[in-house]
Amino acid sequence: MEGILIGLLLALVALLGAPLFAIIGAVTLIAFSFAQTDSSIAIVELYRITSQSVLIAIPLFTFAGYILAESQTPKRLVNLSRALLGWMPGGLAVVVLVSCAVFTAFTGASGVTIVALGGLLYPVLIQEKYPESFSLGLVTTSGSLGLLFPPSLPLILYAMVASLISAQSGSLSIVSVNQLFIAGVLPGILLVAALSLYSIRKGIAAKVPRIPFSWSNVWSAVRAAAWELPLPFVIIGGIYGGFFTATEAAAITAFYVFIVEVFIYRDLSLMRDVPRVMRDSMLLVGAIIVIIGSALGLTNYLIIEEVPQKLFQFIQAYISSKAVFLILLNVFLLLVGMMMDIFSAIIVVVPLIIPIARNFGVDPIHLGIIFLANLEIGYLTPPVGLNLFISSFRFQKSIARVTLATLPYIGILLIVLLIITYVPDLSLLLTRLFRVM
Amino acid sequence: MKLLRRVDRAIATAETALLVFLLSIMILLDFTQVILRNFFSSGIIWADTFLRQMVLWVAFFGASLAVQERKHINIDVLTRFMPERSKRVSRLATDFFAALVCFAFFKASITFVTSEMVQRTTIFLDIPTWYFQLIIPVGYGMLCFRFLVKVIDDMLELKRGVIPQETVP
Repeated sequence: MEGILIGLLLALVALLGAPLFAIIGAVTLIAFSFAQTDSSIAIVELYRITSQSVLIAIPLFTFAGYILAESQTPKRLVNLSRALLGWMPGGLAVVVLVSCAVFTAFTGASGVTIVALGGLLYPVLIQEKYPESFSLGLVTTSGSLGLLFPPSLPLILYAMVASLISAQSGSLSIVSVNQLFIAGVLPGILLVAALSLYSIRKGIAAKVPRIPFSWSNVWSAVRAAAWELPLPFVIIGGIYGGFFTATEAAAITAFYVFIVEVFIYRDLSLMRDVPRVMRDSMLLVGAIIVIIGSALGLTNYLIIEEVPQKLFQFIQAYISSKAVFLILLNVFLLLVGMMMDIFSAIIVVVPLIIPIARNFGVDPIHLGIIFLANLEIGYLTPPVGLNLFISSFRFQKSIARVTLATLPYIGILLIVLLIITYVPDLSLLLTRLFRVM
Repeated sequence: MKLLRRVDRAIATAETALLVFLLSIMILLDFTQVILRNFFSSGIIWADTFLRQMVLWVAFFGASLAVQERKHINIDVLTRFMPERSKRVSRLATDFFAALVCFAFFKASITFVTSEMVQRTTIFLDIPTWYFQLIIPVGYGMLCFRFLVKVIDDMLELKRGVIPQETVP
C-alpha cells in the first residue's frame, strides 16, 4: 500500500516535469531503504561507470558533434549532397534525407537537425515547387534519421548501458560499441533508401524541375568540404579494418574536428566560440551521466531482486513465441520513444529489456538496432512525438498539420522497422563478415 | 538575495573555467594516447584511468550548470500543455523535489568517500582514489545548491507574476 502510494506520487512528480535523474534517484533510495541497504551503495554503483572504457567516447563525440553543428559544416554538407544527388528526380528531397542522416549521426538525435538543417532546406524545397505537406513531413522525419549510423551517441550509450548491466549481473557477455557501430549501417541505409524511393516517386509526380548534373559543381563542393569529407570514412573504415576501436575513433574525431573547424576553416573562434561550445556540449553530457549514475543503483537493486526474471516469467505465461514477443516489443518501444527522450529511454528501459529479450533468443546487438529504430520512429509518433513539436515550432505550422504531413513517412518507416525486426541478419551480417570484436 | 545570486554566478564561472580546462586536457591527452599506442606501440599507463575519472568531473560540472539553464532531461508531455501559471507552480514543486534528492545523494556520497578514505585505496601512481571520487559529493552538493537557487527564483517569479520568455525547445 505504502509502496503504491509512493509510486503514484513519484509518477506525478515525473509528469510534472521533474528532472529524470532525480526521479530515478528517489526510486533508488526508496528501494534501498525498503531493502535495508545503505544508500552509499547507490554511489558505489554510480562510480562503476568509470570502469567502462567507452565512457570517454561520450564527451568526445558529443563535443565533436557540437563543434560541427556550430560551424559551417551543415552548409558544406548540403552543398556537397546537392551537387552529388540533386540531378535525380526528387533530388533535393534525397539531399535532405542523406544530409540530415549524416548530420544526425554526428550530433546525436535531438532538435538540432530540424532547426539547423531543416531550417536551411525547407524554404529551398518550397522554392523548388515541392508540395508543402510533402516537404514539411520530409524535414520532420529527417530530424531523427541517422541514429543508426556511427558515431551516434545513442549507439554508444546503448553499448555502455548493456555492458554495465552484464557486469552487474555477473555475466561476461559484452555488447561492444565497435560491433554496434557496424550493425547499424545496413538497417540505417535501408531506412534512408526506402524514404528516398518514396521521395523520388513524389518528385516525379509533382513534376519538380530537375537540375542537370555538373562535374564542376561537384568539384567545387568537394573542395569546399575537403577537410570534413574523410571523417565518416576514417571512422567507419578504421573500425571495420580493425585499425582502431570506437573509443579511439572518438579521440581522433574530437581532436581532428577541433583543429579543422577552428584553425583551417576558421568557422569558430578559439577564444570566443570554443569555450561556449565546450560548455554547451558538456551540459548534455552531464545531464546524461547523472541519469546513468542514479539508474545504476536501481538496476543493481532490480538484478538482486531478480525483477527481469520475474518479468520474463510473467510475459512467458502469455507469450511463448519470439515473433509475438518482437511485435509487442516494437509497440512498447514506440510508446516509450513517444513519451521519453532517447537517452533516458536507453538508460531506463534497456536494463529491463535485455535479459528478457535474451531469454526469447534475441541477440543483444540486434536488440540494440531494433531499440534505436523504434525510438527513431517514436520521435514522430503522434500525438506527442518530440519532432512534431519542434517542427511545428520551427516552421510555424499547427501540430495537426505537421502530424498529417508526417503520416506517410511513418508508414514507410514502420514497414522498414518490421524488416529490421524480423531479419536479424540485416544487423548481424556485417559484424560477422568483418569479425569485429 | 543579491549575495546568493553573486555566489551562484561566481560558482558558475569557476565551473565553466574548470570544465573548459579539463575537457581541453582530455581531448589532447586522449589523442596523444591514441597516437602513442598506434604508431609507437607505447602509451601512458595511467592515461585511460585518469581520463575516465575526468569524464565524471566534467559531467558533474556540466550537470550543475545544466540546472541553471534548465537543460536537465525530463518528461514534458504534460507540462507542454499547461497554462503558464500552473507550469510555474509545478516547476517550484519539482525543483524542490530535485534539491531534496540531490541532498540525499550528497549525504550518501560522503559516506562512500569516507569509507574509501579509510580503506586507503590508490588509483595509479600511488594517488589515493578518493581524491578523484571527491567530485561526487561536491557535484551533488552543487546540484542541490543550484536547485535551491531555482526554488527561490520560482517563488519570486510567482510572487511578481512575471511571465518568462518562451524558450526554443
